[in-house]
Amino acid sequence: MKKVLAVLMAMVLSMAALAGCGSDKEESKAPETQADAGETKADAGETKADAGETKAEGGSEASGDPIYIAVAAPMTGDNENYGKGFYNAATMMAEEWNAKGGCLGRPVEIVQYDDKNSPEEAASIAQKIASDGNVAGVIGHFASGVCMVAAPTYQENKIIEISPSSSHPDYSGIGEYIFRNNTVIRTEAGAALDIAVNDLGKTKIGVISIMTDWGTSTGTIVEELLAEMDGVEMVAHEEVEESSDDYSPAITKLNDAGAEVCVCVGMYSLDGPVAKQYKAINPDIQIIGFSNAYDEQLLELGGDAVEGMCFPVLFYSGSDDPAIKSYVDGYTEKFGGAPSALTSQAYDSVGMLLTAIEECGTTDSETVMKKLYEITYPGVTGETKFDEIGDVQKEFVKMTVKDGAFVPME
Amino acid sequence: MIVQLFNGLTLGMAYALIAVGYSMVFGILRLVNFSHGSVYAFGAHAALLFVGFQFGLLPAAILSLLLTGVLGVLIDKTALEPLRKKGSVPVASLITTIGISNIIQNLLTVYFGSERKSFPAVFDFGSFKIGDITVTSKQICMCLVSLVLMAILVIIVQKTKVGLAMRATEQNSKAANMMGVNVNFVISFTFFIAGVSASIAGVLIGGYYEVVYPTMGFMAGLKAFAAAVLGGIGSLPGAIVGGLVIGISESMAATFLGSTWRDCMAFVILIIVLLVKPNGLFGKKGIVKV
Repeated sequence: MKKVLAVLMAMVLSMAALAGCGSDKEESKAPETQADAGETKADAGETKADAGETKAEGGSEASGDPIYIAVAAPMTGDNENYGKGFYNAATMMAEEWNAKGGCLGRPVEIVQYDDKNSPEEAASIAQKIASDGNVAGVIGHFASGVCMVAAPTYQENKIIEISPSSSHPDYSGIGEYIFRNNTVIRTEAGAALDIAVNDLGKTKIGVISIMTDWGTSTGTIVEELLAEMDGVEMVAHEEVEESSDDYSPAITKLNDAGAEVCVCVGMYSLDGPVAKQYKAINPDIQIIGFSNAYDEQLLELGGDAVEGMCFPVLFYSGSDDPAIKSYVDGYTEKFGGAPSALTSQAYDSVGMLLTAIEECGTTDSETVMKKLYEITYPGVTGETKFDEIGDVQKEFVKMTVKDGAFVPME
Repeated sequence: MIVQLFNGLTLGMAYALIAVGYSMVFGILRLVNFSHGSVYAFGAHAALLFVGFQFGLLPAAILSLLLTGVLGVLIDKTALEPLRKKGSVPVASLITTIGISNIIQNLLTVYFGSERKSFPAVFDFGSFKIGDITVTSKQICMCLVSLVLMAILVIIVQKTKVGLAMRATEQNSKAANMMGVNVNFVISFTFFIAGVSASIAGVLIGGYYEVVYPTMGFMAGLKAFAAAVLGGIGSLPGAIVGGLVIGISESMAATFLGSTWRDCMAFVILIIVLLVKPNGLFGKKGIVKV
C-alpha cells in the first residue's frame, strides 16, 4: 500500500510540476509538429516547381530560387486563430508579390511552423530555422514570452524576426535583428485605460491578468499607469492561471471591492469567459480588453456577455480607406472572415520585409536589417517606421462590441 | 466571503463528481485510472457534438452519458482486461491508463480541434440576491444536481444487487467470483458508472464555464484525484467530502492569499494528506495479505 502511494505521489508531483510550467500541456505532440513543418516545406517545394512551370508557359513570372519567409506562430491550441491569421495574411501578401513578378524576380514562399504558443516549441523551431539557414526572415512568434525565448537564437544567427504581436517592453531590445510591428504595451495599456477613465468616466478599476510573461508585466504596467492617474483608484488586481476556466474567485474579489470596470489583461480566451462569469453576478460591469480581443473568436466565446466590451486596436477592418477596403475585401473573400488587427500587422510585416529585400537587391540579412530601420512603409495598419530599437508607434482606434459585431466607439 | 464559499462549493461538487470515478475504479481494481480526466473531457465533447444535432440539451446530455459510459467499458475491455488476464504488475495498468488518456485527448484534438469551444449554458435562469450576496442559478443547480447524482450513486452501491456484487468484488474478487458474482461484469459496470459520472461532470462544468476543450480534463483530473486521496480513495462519501474541501480551499486561497495561490492548493492538500494520513479521511486501513 505504502509503495503504491509513494509511486502515485511521485507521479502526481511530476505531473503537477509539468502543469506548473503553464500552457505547455500539449508538448507531447512535439514530433508531430516537426513532421508537419517538414511537410509544409515539401509543399512549398512543389509550389515552387509549379511556379517554375508557370514561368515556362507565361514567360513573365518570377523564377529562380524562391525567397522563403517563415511564419512561426500557434497554428493549433488556444491561440490558433492568431497563428492561422498570421499565416493567411503572409500567404496573401506573398501571392500579391508573386503576381507582380516576385521579389527580386524570385517567387516568395511562406513556410509555416507551429509553435503552439509554447516557449519550448518556439526554441526548437528557432534552432531549426537557424540550422536550415535559408529563410530571409521570420514573421512571428505570437506571445511575447514565446518571442523572447526564440529571439536570442535569431539574433545570434543574424535572422530577421518581425513579431506582429509582441508587446513586452524588453522584446525588441534583445538585438538589432529583432523587430516588432506592434506598439509597446505601455502605449496600448494607456489607450485601454484612457477608454475606461476618459471616455466612460469610470474611477474604480479592477484588473484581472494572466500569469504569463506578458500578463504579469502588463499587469504591473497597468498598475503603474493607474497610480499616475488622478482621481482613479485601482480597487483590486488578481492574477489568474491562463487556462483555469474558473475565474469566479477573482471576479468575486473584484466585485466585492466595488470595481466598475474590469480590465482583462489576457487574450480572447480570458476575455470571453471572464465577461460571461462577471456579467452573471454583475450585469453592469464594464469589460475593457486589449487589442488582441479584436478577433471573431471573442464573439464566439463571449456571446452576449462581451456586448459593450471596449478595447483599443491599431486596425479597423470597416475603415473607408480604399487601400484597407480592398485588402479587407480580398482577405474576406479568400479566408471567409474579416482580418483582425494582429493579422493585418502580420500582413504589413511581410510587406515591409519584402520591400526592404527588394530595395536592397539582396536577401543578405545584415543589409536588409539595416534597410528595415530606414524605410517608411505605407501599410494597412498605417504608416509604419521602426525606431532605433525596432519598435513602432501607431494610432489607436477605440472599438466596442455592438449587436454581436465590432464597431468603432462613438 | 459567503459568495466565495458558494464558488468553492460549486467547484468542489464538480471535483467530487470526477473524484467518484477515481474512487469507484480504485475500490474494485486497486488501480488509479488516470484516463479519467480525458474521459471527462470526452463526455463534454460528446455532449457538444450531440447538441450540434439540434434536438435539445437534455437528450444530447443523456446520449453523451451513454456514449461516455460505453467508452469507459471499452477502455477496460481493450486495454486493461488483457493486462489483468496476463497478471501483469499493477504499474503496467497504471501506465496504460496514462497512455489511454493521451490517446483520448489527442483524438479529441484531431476531431474537434484544440481551441476552446463555446458550450451552451445549462440551468441559466439568471442570478439572484440573498441579502447582499449574489448567487447564480447555475451554481445552485449544479450543487443540487451533483448532490442528487451522488445520492443515486450511493443508493446503487449500497442498496442494489449489482451494488452488493461491487462491494463483494471490492472486498475480495476471487471469493466473490466463487460465490457466483460475475466479476468481469461488475468491473465493466464500474467503468460504465465511472464514465457516466465523468460525463455528467463534463456536461455540468462545460455548461457552467461555457467552454470545452480537449485538455480540460488534465487539471480537473489531477485535482479530483487529490480530492479522492483526501477523502480516502475507494470511498464514495470520501470523494464527495474531499472534492468539497478542495473546492472550498481553492476559493478561500484565492480570497485570502490571491488567485496566484489557487491552483497549488489541491496539491498542497494532497501532500499533507499523504504525509499525515495516507489512507485519507474515510479510507480503510490497507491490510496486505501475503
